[in-house]
Amino acid sequence: MPLGTLDRTAPPLFNQGPSALSKLIFFSALALFLMVADARFNIVQPLRAGIGAVLYPIQWLALKPVQLAMGGGRYLEDLQTAQSKEADARKALALQSERAGQADTLAQENARLRSLLELRQITQTPGRAAEVLYDAADPYTRKLVIDQGLTNGIAPGSPVIDEHGVVGQVTQVQPFTSEITLVIDRDLSIPVQNVRTGARSVAFGDASAHGGGLELRFTAANADVQEGDLLTTSGVDGVYPAGLPVAKIDRIERRADSAFARIHCVPMAHVTAARYVLVLAPTANLAPKPAPAAAADAGVAAKKKADKSGAKSDKTGKSDKADKADKADKADKAGKPAKAEKKEGRTP
Amino acid sequence: MIMRPGHQQLLLPVNPLFLWASLIVALLINMVPLGRAAWLPDLLALAIVFWSVHQPARIGIGAAFVFGLLMDVHQTALLGQHALSYTTLGFFAIMIHRRLLWYPLLSQALQVLPLFAISHLIEVVIRMIGGGIFPGWGFLIAPVVEAALWPFVTLLLLAPQRRAPEPDANRPL
Repeated sequence: MPLGTLDRTAPPLFNQGPSALSKLIFFSALALFLMVADARFNIVQPLRAGIGAVLYPIQWLALKPVQLAMGGGRYLEDLQTAQSKEADARKALALQSERAGQADTLAQENARLRSLLELRQITQTPGRAAEVLYDAADPYTRKLVIDQGLTNGIAPGSPVIDEHGVVGQVTQVQPFTSEITLVIDRDLSIPVQNVRTGARSVAFGDASAHGGGLELRFTAANADVQEGDLLTTSGVDGVYPAGLPVAKIDRIERRADSAFARIHCVPMAHVTAARYVLVLAPTANLAPKPAPAAAADAGVAAKKKADKSGAKSDKTGKSDKADKADKADKADKAGKPAKAEKKEGRTP
Repeated sequence: MIMRPGHQQLLLPVNPLFLWASLIVALLINMVPLGRAAWLPDLLALAIVFWSVHQPARIGIGAAFVFGLLMDVHQTALLGQHALSYTTLGFFAIMIHRRLLWYPLLSQALQVLPLFAISHLIEVVIRMIGGGIFPGWGFLIAPVVEAALWPFVTLLLLAPQRRAPEPDANRPL
């Protein structure tokens, strides 16, 4: 109570509670503990989920004015825009229906060929549509929040796509909402395959680029990459289904002082403007982690094998990214499509 | 009763309901999704400093910590980042609360500026250590905006306490 206030009760003279400094020390220590627990050990997930559930009504209330404003804007949109949008949508649908017709026959054909070659069948991944609630306001990361959560059966780690490509991955699940880390976030990496050459590599988020992008690291300066190459998910990680478009190579910088090229990519998905997304179930059949020594041996063995028989290799060689890229190169040189190698790689 | 300069009128006691409602409203405004601009002022921090200065017996470091956790969960930030910055805010606000109210409003705004600057700096340093993306130099504007809002917030949040104790025809409110 400041001076000059009429209060009905006198301020307590003696019972002041712990001093401000001791409170500061206690709560700062608690905050530091929480931060370390959150960043390093991942043990505060239940606390986060609890607070999230309590916070949900307030979040819902805070979202309303923005949603109303956006909805109102769309409501008053003129007829011409709506009609032209509808025409566009119909054209897109016509284009897609042709491909969809082919897709059924191709899927049958593919299944038969796969059974002939005794490869594992590709399973369809079920998806769940979700609406994007808001861009997370945290300026230090690139995340989205969607309106589906634990109660809708969203699992952490699920890949998220929109109509153009991969948006990101579910990283936190709360009772009614989930957080998606975008592919352009610095902490997200995604295994990709170059559609043109079949070379596999890993794309890392690169938020420092203007508007956010991705970066292909550890690609040799003389590797066969071109601007405009499409990168799709390679499917070796057991999270993303194979073949989803991820990014397009935008700019390649080859420098004399480095053995690697700097390759910038633009995400295919509209990561910052997505309104509806599809959360896929994780492919889930993760290969068990091999023991390090055994993996190294197997890796060497795989390399020898690859040397002998061109594109042939096995899945144990997966452990090393550089090794992978190396093999992909070899596959190229041997003149065989690396897709064959990928299929080989997925057999158990 | 000691009268501070500039205060012609004794203030009514604060309504605890109004106090908490104002904090919740500040939280609500913070939660309105306006994008991830680093320069946007943190109204919740402002409200916490205001009530820590004006009602240190009711709002203190503990409440600041709890509101910080709420902000962390909402922003999907590192859990404890806002909690730490609000805790420091609460502490410094309690430290200066006896002195601050003797000054005119503009001078008060200048004196709370370093508090907000420190709290934003703490957040940036924590996230840089934690491996975040640098949010751009816009974050330097946020404390200035918050300090500039101080006089308005004072007028707004003290208004219920400035009502007449016994309303009559000349003073309906």
